[in-house]
Amino acid sequence: MPAFHQIGHNSENLLFDEGLSRFGGAILSPLNYAPAAVTAQIERLRSRENFVTIFDPHLYRPQSERMCLPEWDYYPRDVDTADFDEQWWAAIVENVARAAVTLGTTAVASPAIIPRAFPDEFFLQLIANGNRLETALRGTAIRPMQTVVVNLPELAAPARVMTIASIISRSRISECLLVFLGNVEPRRELADPEELKGGMRLISSLEAGGQHVTVAFSSSEMVLWKEAGATNCASGKFFNLRRFTISRFDEPSGGGGGQLGYWFEEALLSFLRQSDLLRVRERGLVSAASLENPFATSILEAIPANAAWVAQGWRQFLYWFADAELRLRNGALSAQDLVGAADANWAMVERGTPPLYMEERQNDGSWVRQWRRALVEFPYFR
Amino acid sequence: MPVPTYTLDPVARAICAALGHQFGGGISQGAFKETFLATKTDGSKLALKVLRQGCSTERSEREVDAMKRCAHPNIIALLELADFDHAGTKYTYLLESFMEGGTLDDRIKSGLLNRQDVLALGDELIRALAHIAEKELVHRDFKPANILYAAAGGEAMVGDFGIVRDLRKESLTKSYLLPGPGTPFFAAPEQLNNEKALIDWRTDQFAVGITLAVAHFGVHPYREPGEDDNQAIGRVASRNGPSASFIQASSAAKLPVIQKMIARWPAERFRLPNSLLEEWRKQMDVT
Repeated sequence: MPAFHQIGHNSENLLFDEGLSRFGGAILSPLNYAPAAVTAQIERLRSRENFVTIFDPHLYRPQSERMCLPEWDYYPRDVDTADFDEQWWAAIVENVARAAVTLGTTAVASPAIIPRAFPDEFFLQLIANGNRLETALRGTAIRPMQTVVVNLPELAAPARVMTIASIISRSRISECLLVFLGNVEPRRELADPEELKGGMRLISSLEAGGQHVTVAFSSSEMVLWKEAGATNCASGKFFNLRRFTISRFDEPSGGGGGQLGYWFEEALLSFLRQSDLLRVRERGLVSAASLENPFATSILEAIPANAAWVAQGWRQFLYWFADAELRLRNGALSAQDLVGAADANWAMVERGTPPLYMEERQNDGSWVRQWRRALVEFPYFR
Repeated sequence: MPVPTYTLDPVARAICAALGHQFGGGISQGAFKETFLATKTDGSKLALKVLRQGCSTERSEREVDAMKRCAHPNIIALLELADFDHAGTKYTYLLESFMEGGTLDDRIKSGLLNRQDVLALGDELIRALAHIAEKELVHRDFKPANILYAAAGGEAMVGDFGIVRDLRKESLTKSYLLPGPGTPFFAAPEQLNNEKALIDWRTDQFAVGITLAVAHFGVHPYREPGEDDNQAIGRVASRNGPSASFIQASSAAKLPVIQKMIARWPAERFRLPNSLLEEWRKQMDVT
């Protein structure tokens, strides 16, 4: 299945960008858009054949992150004083289902919050919400999705992964919206091999049981999730739409990703700042896939003219995301080859004369080695 | 072997007299109840189960409630449930059809089932399992002794809902207990480890898988050569997975579905009862 667009602040322009038409779906954001705006987005997207719209009610942190949420009828008015008991959840689920029916989305994700801790009880509550949603949507054309929020560091323990998979697979819903909550700041790559293997194992377990997984808020590690069998991966314009962290709730609502331009380089599986890009290009390490990216030309033209290219950088990454997903899906590209080549290229970067040091100290390719490990070891992660 | 003493014998006799049935003596006894044979005037036989005084607990109420909710040709039906006053004391009793064909346990003791018979048995048990799962119940005690036959050559019937778990209600099992209720030899890892959040119909799927494996191969599928049953149970609790010899034997016998039924984690077993039934029936087509 094609890549999905993770909608966030001021993302509408990219949703309808002609150059990003390879996206096959969008996870809509009631957090950033009021009901009328989301309705208009859905209406406009209806003309695209087979385009999937997923309504995520975004109750992850309802006490702190509100923005447009209070404008939605399903948003609980008693969120600060509620006990979050079964009755409370039942009403929320009913209201979310009603909102999705009114909007006419393709699918709707079950409500979920970010808990303080992740005991079994939390996952049972997610399932209860999912099953309620499935019941509420019977007789409608709208597909329910089981939202699953997992704490990525916990997945470093194989038994925990299988416990969570065992609880989640109890859901009657055959589609999951998987959100990995992590500690790694949005700009940085996920690099803990045990966590990555756990994430991959969770995806493969759910998929093996017939639950199709859409990984929300993903970035370049989409390569790993696809290798594990994820049906869809979603990514967005800003770094904080490509990673789900608690810190996202502390960020200013306007910017989301800073104002620096980043080029995503497939040959290194890395985000490069302008000076890095120029030096990598000099070394002949920019991949053919990057040069064929329709947004690459405008970036390479903007640089000598000292023009800002932040917005083109968003597009360049999103184009890569959808294009690489397609190549991975149709077999034109393998995750092993892609990550293996990046590992070899980083070795060339380090051994070159002089060695090439990226502007950001942590942009050293070290995660690529861990991704290689994760790729070969995850089938044995048990 | 000592002859069991049925303390509720006078009560059962009085119930039979009141109902106009012929009292046929004690059949079995457990912690919560004693079972007697009763024969109706038309000759049909019934199992009369009398709960011990003070044992009409929430557990026994759930058993009765589960049986009332189930209505399936492969599940023993509850015919009557009532209270009876005897010598100033109130007793609760149940009437079920009497299974004259004995238990699967009896059959296995007289010889292991061949492939064709185990395929037919599996089909019957999986259909019953699917019905129980649909009612959001977990039987938790599938085993040959609880699989009975109304008559020789008839279909298998599932009985004894004594430790049934109702997923719509709070668990009655204390979280601090090491193992949860069940018969260890047939219990799934999550049952042996009292992992309450993991108990669902797939826990029964595991027990049915062990039952079918034992019925055909005569050995616990987790038991390694040279080990005893307790070691096999330990391997289940530790989630070591079935023995290599069982994997080989079940593949050779063209019964690979059992391997998935007895997988270590619920997530590795069949997620939906219909998928299990479908895959089981595909095996039936393989000769």
